[in-house]
Amino acid sequence: MKKLITLSLLALGSTVLAQGTTIEFWHTFGDAKRSDWIAARAADYNAAHPGVKVTAVFRGDSNETLQSSILAARQNKAPALVQVDGVSSQLALDSGVFQPVGGVKSVDFGDYLKPVVSYYTVQGKVNSVPFNSSSPVLYFNKDLMLKAGLDPKQPPTTFGGVLKACAKFDAAKLGVKCMALTPFSWLFEQWMSEQNAVLVNNNNGRTGRATSTNIDSAAGRKVYQFYKDLQDQGYLTNTGKLADTVGTNAIFTSQKALMTINSTAGLGNILDGAKQNGFQLGVGVLPIPDGSKRNGVVIGGASLWVAKGASKPEAETALDFALFMTNTANMASWHKLTGYYPVRSSSVDLLRKQGWFSNSPLQIVAFNQLLKTVPNVANAGALSGATIQTRTIIEQGMQKVLGGQSVDSAIVSASEQANAAIAEYNKNFK
Amino acid sequence: MSLVRPTPKSRAVRAKAIRSQEARAEAAAAQEHATFRGRWLPWLFLLPTLLVLAVFSYYPAARTLRLSVFRANLIVGNEQYVGLQNFAELLSSPVYHQVIVQTLIFVALVVVLGLTFALSLAWLASKPIAGAKFYRLMLIYPYALSPAIAGTLWLFLFNPEIGAVNTLLDALIGVKPRWLDNPFLAFALVVVASVWKGLGYNVVFYLAAIQNIPGDVMEAAEIDGASAWQSFWRVAFPLLSPMTFFLVFTNIVTSLFDSFGLVNILTRGGPVYGETGITTFLVYQLYEDGFRNFKTGAAATQAVLMLLLVVCIVAMQFRYGNRKVHYGA
Repeated sequence: MKKLITLSLLALGSTVLAQGTTIEFWHTFGDAKRSDWIAARAADYNAAHPGVKVTAVFRGDSNETLQSSILAARQNKAPALVQVDGVSSQLALDSGVFQPVGGVKSVDFGDYLKPVVSYYTVQGKVNSVPFNSSSPVLYFNKDLMLKAGLDPKQPPTTFGGVLKACAKFDAAKLGVKCMALTPFSWLFEQWMSEQNAVLVNNNNGRTGRATSTNIDSAAGRKVYQFYKDLQDQGYLTNTGKLADTVGTNAIFTSQKALMTINSTAGLGNILDGAKQNGFQLGVGVLPIPDGSKRNGVVIGGASLWVAKGASKPEAETALDFALFMTNTANMASWHKLTGYYPVRSSSVDLLRKQGWFSNSPLQIVAFNQLLKTVPNVANAGALSGATIQTRTIIEQGMQKVLGGQSVDSAIVSASEQANAAIAEYNKNFK
Repeated sequence: MSLVRPTPKSRAVRAKAIRSQEARAEAAAAQEHATFRGRWLPWLFLLPTLLVLAVFSYYPAARTLRLSVFRANLIVGNEQYVGLQNFAELLSSPVYHQVIVQTLIFVALVVVLGLTFALSLAWLASKPIAGAKFYRLMLIYPYALSPAIAGTLWLFLFNPEIGAVNTLLDALIGVKPRWLDNPFLAFALVVVASVWKGLGYNVVFYLAAIQNIPGDVMEAAEIDGASAWQSFWRVAFPLLSPMTFFLVFTNIVTSLFDSFGLVNILTRGGPVYGETGITTFLVYQLYEDGFRNFKTGAAATQAVLMLLLVVCIVAMQFRYGNRKVHYGA
């Protein structure tokens, strides 16, 4: 309620007489590095387009931003452009306050990376402009690897490879855990995709509303088993909190673990940590279950949505700004700053020309992993309005396995709970 | 409070207290009648307050009551009338049962441990010793931290691999407890963090109350040959009971509602034990359903149940307020 009131007060305050076009862009980056970059792009854009004013506003985390945008839209005060987390795409669609960007004006998405665009395409329509995209990779400590007699040039690429490397590392008795890994549903989703398994039915919710999950499947069990194997052998560590990537990264950069699996978007910070603690950082592809053919990663991150309630000039300005912010040069600079993918092929070419990959070879791993992804239903990612809840359920299941429960009982109950959550969400539409 | 056996002395003190209290109440009543002539004048003065309450408390509360009988999702923007189904589902859910039980245990522990600890510290800090002022300041300071900052602090301290606590424990006795995913330890950690967080507030009130205990009463006890323990337990403690009573209720309400910030940062309601996370308390469950899963209807139902709980607490406060409490000081 308090939020609603501040919101409406703010909305009142920002009503400006239509002289030229003024729009707001609500985003989720509170840190100086990323929010300053966005503010600078808005300033660039305003300078290049006299009479048009784009204001970038930080609106809290992704959940808060979505909530504020939707409440504002219900009072006809919607910001013209909103950054929405990929995981909330179905919610954004169901809210009915956004419009597919293709409807504003025709956009050529040919230059955008295919797996990225495919994530934001529903039933043939591109709903939003891809912005910040990432996927998980294996981070490892080269110095510790050498100390244990492992080859840092050949990091493990499969679950079995990880366990083998851990066995050897453990035998070296360095008093350091092998793998820092938090119970993290985002990784579960990635591993489903790599095994060409959907996460929810109806083709990952893309041909119809999802009604059940595929958590309890051979593919899902392999992921839970991986957590169990690491834990049973005493290779695993984390902070104990669900999805605590910050804490896990801290353990890794403090050299209390040999490896960790995390988003490429964390590369900048992990690299800083490695420098501070004085070790050589290595990056490898995401290790996957043995015997699976790599089906590619699901794009994590967020995209830019245009409000339905925006007037035509406002909507066009919003889309134009979104395209400007994700143009070739801007995406290259965004990538260098943060570790997020540049979402355009031309940006990748530009970076290559600038010699970025030979100077920062760590980045290339993530690229190849993404560029090798051939879009299909599984790696397009799941659409479901209950994803935030099902993520917690998947993570609690992982935690149960780490606490000693069998994979079977943990995954069966996770699957039941997740199906119930989806059914509960779908009741909203009856 | 009920542990206090009435001694002749305490009975005399009590009688005196009740007499002076009655006299004061009469004087106050007379004054009230003298001030306002018209029937509407007091209402006029109350109007601004009532308006603010209406807009910020009564109206939202009424909306919440209404919403509790609907299935509603904040994002979808739907409202489907479901009658008492939300209540039935919630009250028959094993998850919610567990949440209720662990909330009650949590509240009881925080209130009892928090007040015992605060009273002991306040008693010690009120002794005329060197640096007493400094100790008092240091005792109060945790209260100045926001729950989010306190949560982050504890999170870093108790990181099992790199936290200060485990680094120390590992060096001293070679153990590294799993603070955040061992259900027992995580629960204990949240209790201790909440007690610590509330300590400043409780100490301030106890310090003030201790300073208000009339010196002659304590002196009389000393002359009568009471030991330090006796003069605390038989004289000071009964005289502090109005403050204890006040603090019991503020602490109940604080631990019911304000535990949210700490839990959200420190454990996110986990680790999972039985049906749900062991530090998922009523208010955190409400937050999860309402603001993370956007189930506005279900969250409103929980808000109504919590409102009923608070009503019970307030009723108890009014009922027992005058019986077991000595308003002597």
